[in-house]
Amino acid sequence: MKLREFIRPTSMSAARDHLRELGPRGMALAGGTALHFMRATVPYTAVDITRLGLSYIRPEHDFFVIGATTPLADIQRYRAPRWAMHEVCRRIATHQIRNISTIGGNICRVFPWADLPVVLLALNARVVVYSGKEAEVAADDFFASQPANRFRGGDLLSAVKVPFLRDHHGFGSVKTGRTVAAFSLVTVATVLELVDEVIKGARVAVGSAIPFPRRLLEVEAALTGREATTAVFREAVAKAGAAVHWRGREGMSPEYSRHLTEVSLLDALERAATFARERVAR
Amino acid sequence: MKSSMTVSFRLNGELVTFSTDPDEKLLALLRREGYRGTKYGCGQGTCGACTVLLAGRAVYACLLYTQQAEGRDVRTIESVGTLDEPSEFQKELIEGGAVQCGYCIPGMVMSATALMESEVCYDDEVVREYMDGNLCRCTGYEKIWVALRTVLDRRETASAKGPDPAAHPDRQTVKADTSMDALE
Repeated sequence: MKLREFIRPTSMSAARDHLRELGPRGMALAGGTALHFMRATVPYTAVDITRLGLSYIRPEHDFFVIGATTPLADIQRYRAPRWAMHEVCRRIATHQIRNISTIGGNICRVFPWADLPVVLLALNARVVVYSGKEAEVAADDFFASQPANRFRGGDLLSAVKVPFLRDHHGFGSVKTGRTVAAFSLVTVATVLELVDEVIKGARVAVGSAIPFPRRLLEVEAALTGREATTAVFREAVAKAGAAVHWRGREGMSPEYSRHLTEVSLLDALERAATFARERVAR
Repeated sequence: MKSSMTVSFRLNGELVTFSTDPDEKLLALLRREGYRGTKYGCGQGTCGACTVLLAGRAVYACLLYTQQAEGRDVRTIESVGTLDEPSEFQKELIEGGAVQCGYCIPGMVMSATALMESEVCYDDEVVREYMDGNLCRCTGYEKIWVALRTVLDRRETASAKGPDPAAHPDRQTVKADTSMDALE
């Protein structure tokens, strides 16, 4: 994508004003790495939002609030009780990319291989959108369709709110790619609420093997109320194919994408259950 | 339709101002201005030959618009060692025969510099994380790894004998622990 101008506003409202004025010729720029994958016939004006104080991670009430322009490397380095995002971020791209790529850039325009939308769906995160004032949107709604469409009118993402993992909650995610730095072929994430070995609640999400990240409600339903055993996990992941269109690519058939997803899901569920048990054991 | 503009930043410790255009990448500007140690490899943020430090962090100069460096601190391979006085890592690379075509080496050295300046703990997993964005198509990595590990082991030994790492509060220790303990 070609840039014809570079604007550096000093406030969120000024950034929004610029984007509203520019219309389809304007583009909010954070890390800027995504621009290299976008094709456009007309040059864009970049509105740089990296100097608006949106780079932070802070615990607030029951959430970790992550500023929109927080680099993935900072999320990878952050440590706190009830936090699991670092595990995911260290598996995204390379060190150099993680230093510049931001959480906002990663989720405002969702590419099929993106890992964070899947994780945020599983964690039941919330997204804060600035449109003159801030409003929260549930990840389920935010990722119901391409989020970039939501920002066409100049609105901006200001933060992502990730809920604290509760006692009895376990998190597991698996990313499969050709190399450590490659885009994912399959990316899955799950959160299990485990009480006395019974699954009280489950959130399961998948991306990359399908055209757009989404939760697998059929798998969640097959898990809820059941005992957390490998047999139950196997039975549940077998339902992953229901109502899902599998992508075949990079030498993989759609059937193999489905198989790889089921194997990855099984692994993620085992990890989530182990995670929850170890937390309860303390 | 491009509009000409300037960009100012601190380059290898010196305040500089260059003409640029909004679409120009930092790699192109650096090489145009004579900083040719920073190499053009893939041009799409994969190989790491163009690695420079932006505010102390390793980044791909081929992905960075020049304006993203405005007012910031940029360091290139020209700031790390000279022909007469190579850095510790550069010396080990030479002595270990770790350089074949050499095209990837400036990027490798910059990533290693970021590692050594940011961390006090050099576990293999941490080292791999810092070096995972630099490709070499000649050596198979073994000799580069041995050269770097030699330098890091020496530093760890010296730091065990020397001042307490806590005396450097600006350094952040990152332990990439994948166990469940790390999550808690």
